[in-house]
Amino acid sequence: MPRPEHRAITFTIDGRDVEAPENTMLVDAAKRGDVEIPVFCYEPKLGNPVGACRMCLVEIEGIGKLQTGCSTPVKDGMVVHTQTERVKEAQRSVVEFLLINHPLDCPVCDKGGECPLQDISFGWGGGISRFVEPKRHFVKPLELSPLIAIDRERCILCYRCVRFSQEISEDYQLVLLERGAESFVSTFDGHPYVAPFSGNIIELCPVGALTSRAYRFRARPWDIEDAGSVCTLCPAQCNVTLTVRDERVMRVLARDHAEVDDGWLCDRGRFAYPALDDGAHAGHNGHVREPPGVPLELAHGVHAGMRVTEPLVRDGGELRRVSWERALAEATAGLKRAGARTGALAGGGASNEEGMLLARLMREALGSANVDSRVGGELPLELQRALAEPRLQAKVSDLEFAHAVLLLDCEPLLDAPVLDLRLRKGVRRHGMKLERISGADVRALSETAARLAQEGEELVILFSERFTAGPDGAERARALLEIAATLSLDQVDGAGLLEIPATANGRGLREAGMLSNAGPGLREVERAGLDTRAMAEALGRGELSALYLLQVDPLSARDPFATCAPEDSTWHVALERASTVVAHATFLTDGVHGHATVVFPAESYAEKEGTVTHPDGRIQRVRQAVAHAGTTRAEWRVLAELSERLGRDLGVRSEKLASQQLFDAVPFYAGLTLEQIGGRGVRWQERAQASAYTQGQA
Amino acid sequence: MSDVLLFKDIDEPGLSTLPVYESRGGYSALRKALAMTHGEVLSELEASGLRGRGGAGFQMGKKVSFLPQGSMEKYLVCNADESEPGTFKDRELMQKNPHMLIEGIVIASYAAGAERSFIYIRGEYELQADVLDAALAEAREAGYIGEKILGADHSLSLVLHRGAGAYICGEETALLDSLEGKRGNPRLKPPFPANQGLYRGPTLINNVETLSTVPAITLMGGENYAKLGVQTSTGTKLVSVSGHVQRPGNYEVELGIPSRELIYDLAGGPPERREVKCWFPGGSSAPVLTAADLDVPYEFDSLAKAGSMLGSGAIIVVDDSTPIVDLALKVAKFYRHESCGKCTPCREGTTWTVKMLERIDSGEATPMDLDIMASVQDHIIGNCLCVLGDAMAMPIGSMIAKFRPEFEDHIEAARLRNGMAAPSAPANEPLGQGVL
Repeated sequence: MPRPEHRAITFTIDGRDVEAPENTMLVDAAKRGDVEIPVFCYEPKLGNPVGACRMCLVEIEGIGKLQTGCSTPVKDGMVVHTQTERVKEAQRSVVEFLLINHPLDCPVCDKGGECPLQDISFGWGGGISRFVEPKRHFVKPLELSPLIAIDRERCILCYRCVRFSQEISEDYQLVLLERGAESFVSTFDGHPYVAPFSGNIIELCPVGALTSRAYRFRARPWDIEDAGSVCTLCPAQCNVTLTVRDERVMRVLARDHAEVDDGWLCDRGRFAYPALDDGAHAGHNGHVREPPGVPLELAHGVHAGMRVTEPLVRDGGELRRVSWERALAEATAGLKRAGARTGALAGGGASNEEGMLLARLMREALGSANVDSRVGGELPLELQRALAEPRLQAKVSDLEFAHAVLLLDCEPLLDAPVLDLRLRKGVRRHGMKLERISGADVRALSETAARLAQEGEELVILFSERFTAGPDGAERARALLEIAATLSLDQVDGAGLLEIPATANGRGLREAGMLSNAGPGLREVERAGLDTRAMAEALGRGELSALYLLQVDPLSARDPFATCAPEDSTWHVALERASTVVAHATFLTDGVHGHATVVFPAESYAEKEGTVTHPDGRIQRVRQAVAHAGTTRAEWRVLAELSERLGRDLGVRSEKLASQQLFDAVPFYAGLTLEQIGGRGVRWQERAQASAYTQGQA
Repeated sequence: MSDVLLFKDIDEPGLSTLPVYESRGGYSALRKALAMTHGEVLSELEASGLRGRGGAGFQMGKKVSFLPQGSMEKYLVCNADESEPGTFKDRELMQKNPHMLIEGIVIASYAAGAERSFIYIRGEYELQADVLDAALAEAREAGYIGEKILGADHSLSLVLHRGAGAYICGEETALLDSLEGKRGNPRLKPPFPANQGLYRGPTLINNVETLSTVPAITLMGGENYAKLGVQTSTGTKLVSVSGHVQRPGNYEVELGIPSRELIYDLAGGPPERREVKCWFPGGSSAPVLTAADLDVPYEFDSLAKAGSMLGSGAIIVVDDSTPIVDLALKVAKFYRHESCGKCTPCREGTTWTVKMLERIDSGEATPMDLDIMASVQDHIIGNCLCVLGDAMAMPIGSMIAKFRPEFEDHIEAARLRNGMAAPSAPANEPLGQGVL
């Protein structure tokens, strides 16, 4: 589907000639001439402008009435004035109108200090009000949902939240009830606004009407620092800004990236932050974060579910807090005993560097090739490589502009929630055709794909790792590749395949060498090892005796390694029989709690420094926002230390060196620097070095 | 009067039924139109100079010609949400002569190339909707609506939709939203309905009276029609005269007659021993004119020149027994109640104006408040999403401008009546003025 084209035109604003892409809305075009036109209701992410707030009125020569800058596409030769007395008076009057019913309770309002209404009142308002009558009143604040509070007196009725609910998340719950000055935002049936993306309306609200109940009264803008990072709670890898106060994450905000998240976050990504920091500052026990109401003795002890902030070693059948020295020694001894009879899994939010270092530790220090990050087991390397072939890779924005998208064994809302919104956008705004199919019947799949291809040549097939998991995975992968070849998806810009791995950094871990049959850069290895399934079985038979779990717990109900495992008790038996289980864990989940012999506290993503790779190949930086919880050490450091103790110095002395090693090890990452990746990431398929991918194959 | 077009036979018993309508020459215009090409019918409409009778006064033929050519689905919507206070001409047309409207719709849809049409009628017009429903059934039965009308290459579906009681739904884009099943809020223009209207398709929207005029134009020819009235306001117009007149009602007149003739000769003027204090020439949203303006010709341009508008063609006469503050409050309260709340100046401005008027009425105001109120009206006019805000601000602004001494007297009288102290200057200057 044609992407918007941008022909440059020149227009005049406040006497200055400014160049801007034709048909961009005046408020956006004006910014290119350093002119700010104030807005409340305008938010391009929400689709077409509605022109409701009237804040952006400007004068355009040749047009009698003042025009809304938010809805006027800029044309060549247009002459715009934003500083005439007529415009200023109109803007002053809109501010005055907006404030007559606004409580002006800024000193106790969460939004105070980061409030567009405050800023615009200051910048464009008259400074006084002539309104002396009583203001409109509502009961407040009310629970709009368990997560969101609504203060209807502060609301300026800009429609943003309603438009989000109606036209972006399409949950159709928020509406405006009543009319005129009595209008108010509500759910249509008065029930709580519970929806997967509800938290976005807090960020959209240009006043303090919608506030996060978790963040309410926890900090003022001048108390906090912003830290940009990438959320690694799921493969969508949304760009986020963490609001940090006193080494605690207080809030998670979107950090708009059109090629990743389109500026939205799911509620899990937005509200799961209490798990991201130490929590000790608020608690009394200093080490573990316990849910409220947990008895003190339990809170002080080691118990399932707790945040791990210190090394733990199993002693006398129970995990006990120990020093780092003791934990490292225990782990070294256990791994040395097992040697090549060790297996390793990586998942969770493990970074590329961590994956690479674990694979090196296994292959170089222990002589074991048993490493995996695929939850469903090995896929023949030529298929793995063919599926990740750069020319065949679709990117996130293709999901919006494709003629058709086929969801193959994939539920975006669960697999990578924010992509759900992108697909809705494609369907709603660009008339994209969307279908879903189970991969079980290969013939039905190829028929559906062929039919969808008739919608237009840009067809994207979005599939989950489940599609290629299990014994028939290879056969299905082959069928998919055949379909892609028949439809020439690799020949068309905007068409292709996009796989959502089971774990947040599944793609990065594979490319970093965490595969049983491939090294860094998906290169063939001399000796293939056991894959996830085979490891479990070998442990059960006693052929392997040690297991290294990097942010994986095959017994935890929420871990993809567990949900994709066979229904039987293979992993139970495996962990039961393993003599050494070394785990890096942020939380003491069931399997780790019950079976680990050594537990290293793992960093949450807010504590981590490193790179991850998005399902579409975008390498992104995870940046440390808060201090390590307790005595937690960076994983790269623990892995390097262990390797050295096992007799192999990996030569990693800092996280930067770890990244450098990664870029050197993966041919198609070659030459990358952390500075290049920066805050927006780099899609490796778009670099010249991508050619190394195909060369490596030959 | 020889030039009666719309009200020809209006009081004929049974005119609302098909046999009587046909016996009076009904649907002959449709037969004539279907024998012409689309373009020829359109040319007649353009030549007639017929201006929209709903309020905006935009030339109908031009509006039809704005619809894009091509095979896409086009719509015709008849705006029968006649809600402007003082306006009741469409009601009489629909009630007594529904087939003329239907015939007009079919001809207009033929000219516009629309194959789906709707009549959006205000919810309170239950009787008229029932009459229309019966007429529609007859017209369908007789083949005037449906597939291949009268054997010609034109098909049309026509659906009657009843509104739910919101003034704003008479605004064309709010009407479209309401018709689509949404909350009736006005849309941003552009895009105009001619390009993106109902279901985002090209849409022609016209008032009942406008469409009811189409058969007459088709029969007599656009040029002949244009000979009626004056140069830029052609044809005849139904005028609803109400308020303080002795014979309120609908009158069909040739555009351009002196307003005095309408108010005094036709409607009988104000009751005995009363004088005209002010009058709305085009519904309650038109700025008021005074007795001094009674000789202004009743047509679009002269009324605009006099500072008001022809609007929906509804004259409301107010005599000297009515306090201007009462009138202003009545008008302001209506628009406050009907403001949809979407855009800021209208939502807040109408509410604020009512609050100020209530203070004026109770004596809690000062003459300074009149300045504030006047400036609030100025801030509403032209700055809103649709014209509802203007519809309050224009008449209120005109009342303050023309009757300021009466407002001031009213404030003072109410203050004395309620035993309040004279207002004193505030002790402190408001913050901000000196600082910034």
